[in-house]
Amino acid sequence: MAKVLEGPGMGLMKKWGITVPNYVVVTSVDELTKLGQVNEWLKKSKLVVKAHEALGSRFKLGLVKVDLDLKGAEAATKEMIGRQVGSITVSQVIVSEMVPHKEEYYCAVKSTREGTDILVANCGGIEVESNWERVKRLALEVGQQPSPNAFEKVAKDAGFTGPLVKKMADFAGKMFTCFDSEDAQYLEVNPVVLREQDSELIALDAVTLLDGDAKFRHPDWNFAFAAEFGRAYSEHEMEVMAVDSKIKGSVKFIEIPGGDTAMLPAGGGASIYYSDAVVARGGKLANYAEYSGDPPDWAVEVLTDKVCSLPGIKNIIVGGAIANFTDVKKTFGGIINGFRKAKSEGKLKGVKIWVRRGGPREKEGLDAMRALKDEGFDINVFDRHTPLTDIVDKALQGK
Amino acid sequence: MSILADKDTYVVIQGGVAGVNAARRMAEFCYLIKRSLNVLAFVYPPDAGKTNEIPYGSGLVAIPIYKTVAEATKHHPQINTSLVYIGADRAMKGGMEVLDDPHIKVVSMITEGVPEKDAKILGRHANKLGKVFNGPSSIGIVSAGSCRLGVIGGAFDNLVLSKLYREGSFGVITKSGGLSNEIIWICSQFADGITTAIGIGGDAYPGTDYVSYLEMFENDPQTKAVVIVGEMGGDLEERAAEWYGAKKRRVKLIAVVSGFCQESLPKGMKFGHAGAKEGLKGEGSARSKSDALKKAGAIVPATFGALGPAIKETYQDLLRSGQVKEPVELLSLPKLPRTIEEAMKADEVMVAPLIRTTISDDRGDEPCYDGYPASELINKGYEIPHVIGLLWDKRLISKQEAEIIKRIMMLSADHGPCVSGALGTIIAACAGIGLSQSVAAGLIMIGPRFGGAVTDAGRYFKHAVDNKMSVDEFLTYMKKNVGPVPGIGHRVKSLRNPDKRVKELVGYVKSLNSKTPCLDFALEVEKVTSVKKDNLILNVDGTMAAVLVDIGFPVDSLNGFFILSRTIGLIGHWVDQKRQDSRLIRLFDYLVNYAAPKRREVPPLK
Repeated sequence: MAKVLEGPGMGLMKKWGITVPNYVVVTSVDELTKLGQVNEWLKKSKLVVKAHEALGSRFKLGLVKVDLDLKGAEAATKEMIGRQVGSITVSQVIVSEMVPHKEEYYCAVKSTREGTDILVANCGGIEVESNWERVKRLALEVGQQPSPNAFEKVAKDAGFTGPLVKKMADFAGKMFTCFDSEDAQYLEVNPVVLREQDSELIALDAVTLLDGDAKFRHPDWNFAFAAEFGRAYSEHEMEVMAVDSKIKGSVKFIEIPGGDTAMLPAGGGASIYYSDAVVARGGKLANYAEYSGDPPDWAVEVLTDKVCSLPGIKNIIVGGAIANFTDVKKTFGGIINGFRKAKSEGKLKGVKIWVRRGGPREKEGLDAMRALKDEGFDINVFDRHTPLTDIVDKALQGK
Repeated sequence: MSILADKDTYVVIQGGVAGVNAARRMAEFCYLIKRSLNVLAFVYPPDAGKTNEIPYGSGLVAIPIYKTVAEATKHHPQINTSLVYIGADRAMKGGMEVLDDPHIKVVSMITEGVPEKDAKILGRHANKLGKVFNGPSSIGIVSAGSCRLGVIGGAFDNLVLSKLYREGSFGVITKSGGLSNEIIWICSQFADGITTAIGIGGDAYPGTDYVSYLEMFENDPQTKAVVIVGEMGGDLEERAAEWYGAKKRRVKLIAVVSGFCQESLPKGMKFGHAGAKEGLKGEGSARSKSDALKKAGAIVPATFGALGPAIKETYQDLLRSGQVKEPVELLSLPKLPRTIEEAMKADEVMVAPLIRTTISDDRGDEPCYDGYPASELINKGYEIPHVIGLLWDKRLISKQEAEIIKRIMMLSADHGPCVSGALGTIIAACAGIGLSQSVAAGLIMIGPRFGGAVTDAGRYFKHAVDNKMSVDEFLTYMKKNVGPVPGIGHRVKSLRNPDKRVKELVGYVKSLNSKTPCLDFALEVEKVTSVKKDNLILNVDGTMAAVLVDIGFPVDSLNGFFILSRTIGLIGHWVDQKRQDSRLIRLFDYLVNYAAPKRREVPPLK
């Protein structure tokens, strides 16, 4: 799943005929001032300013300001841009018009095993979260095109009456079309509001998750995907992602500040079992990492370099199951080069390395790892006869 | 027995290189269990009509490649299974094509990164047709002793170690491809091994889930227990628990779930396979899954490490209750023929070499010239002439000798566009011919009349010096046995118009005060010949030859100095013409003396 920020998310909804408020995304006060000179709505409407970053709880952080005129919006922009929140620096804000309204509703579309669920409620905002039973569901099988009647039925079920039934059905229909056409995995508008001046339904806020795997058939996805865990990617994480996008197979790396056990395991499945074992043993993870699909040795070397650069680590877990086709000797060659480089840069002092692996050319690979002992590494090497996560138990003994 | 794949499974592989690699692995398995290769065809339009050669034992099997699945199944009606190795952007089309073929019963998609919507559509379509769609992102399916689909099971040694050559009693279902082998291995060490192991792929919505396969295992009498390896995210494990708890099941269910680390990670941080995403309301967590499985009566070890002992205990129970018997191990298994390299490493065969070399070795991490690593030569200040010395004469020449060679090369690197060599290259370049062929066109000119006299000059001067001939004796000898003296004489240069290159080289070499018997002799010869005729001077070939013989280079290598140096110039001429985008040239009529007979009538053919 790939998260998309509000600006591009609203752009996609607009593309499929959903009415969204006027908005601009800016990176400086000057830009907003210039836009104010050419856009009437910025001068006339009341405005909302929000930090345009992958941040949760923006309200609490003071990164949402409402009911502003253009001057006020400029002041809020100045205040927000450059603010540091954890590892994220606010570099953009989204300025949108406030839509005067009395009623708030809810509409979402999500991917399910069978196909798609369309969710509708005639309450919105915080109210819907505490009244989840008021959310009504239209379940569609994949490939099924629902009739307008089906949308009207779910709107009626949700308690809409009169002309609002058709309006909400129409809104939900467009949401579904957007979802289906854009390879979305989750679309949520909360709230959907009824604009006072023309009684039109407006999407006031958008949560958009797209299927990153479908990017190849969406040439207009010209926006970057946002990090999904509430902070920006670090420099090292982005370096590994850049390598990952270039190679056959994959390398993954996420930093977890404050940990002391570094992870360098093979395989998307085994890596989680290794992480579980560390936590179960009372260790603190310093990162998540994984390489798989027989990646080139240089890619594994880059990953190793980043793992060795994690601050304050005491152990490195070079774990892995019995590979199907990943060449153990080749990938270990990358890890060994990474270790040597790290050592020559003065890293890995007092760090213990734990290795367990099987697969094609396992003997050669494990022998090469063992030989690192002679170069002064504190390394312990085990083969397939030692169960998968036992090296974590050994590493964290005495914890 | 087994499920999904057995002795009657015949396969078409859709895709290119990755599919061929899988076929190789599958051939290793077929060889181990002594059945013929179960891959009968490939579908890969770019290579349609050709064959892929798949090693089987010590031989090769040619497997035909077709343009469409329909063609493949028409020619091989036994095919009932497809493995899809097509790229993510075309996987949907290929998947639909193969599902719609009436011969096909099982499709396993290996492709990773298939859009979720496409995977769902494929799964639904298969369901409607009553077929099995496994994957995407599946590592494969293996039934011990009967059939391997994909690379699951790993290298040949691992197939043997994990006893995949004969059936056990445990079914295996995993999302993770990497862990499938681990579980197969554990089943073979702690119990009697597996019946069938299936990688269902780590995507959020795999085409076929645990429940469908559990149902199949339940109906397979050979399978006594099933091991499932779950992950956080989605609800596949909960569904499996629901199925298991719904009524009394014949098979025992052993399950592990990963993702407990999630509980102690910073809020919002998630990782793992695409399917490893928690639901919005906390459903799909490792804990809720493992609780559901326990409640349904499954054996759920607390950690992955406890899985082996749990499997062992289950197996012991089965043994005690008489449901399984200790397996009889096969006495002899085929050994995968080794490659020549492997056998030589093990000192098992001796191969008579085809060629012999005494100058260089490329088998390490860098080439060694006569034993010296190239990088070390560079770092210790050696230069190109030293490399020439090592590769042409197998010795490390002195600094002074290197300087002489450098000067010889600089002096003979080029001699303008008019000489035979350069002209040949330029004509070729203008005709649009590539670099190496154009340079070769110039090099072809080097011979007895152009640049190729160095070796002969060196040979005869050396002969004279070695035999202590006088100049007169030498000239008589040459007149009688050879003809004109190689290295003596020039087309345009003469005593009055001396060749500056010769003067330069002779001057430098003489200034070094070392012994130069050959050069001295050549200069003596010039004294006599140039008196007879003004242009019979020591030319640049002769000078180079004499100097190089004095340094000690073998006579046969001497032309190489001219060839090497002049190549620099020829490359220059080619690049020069290319840069100017020169047009094709042809000789003007007036530069040709047309001495052929005048136009005349052709007589009738007799």
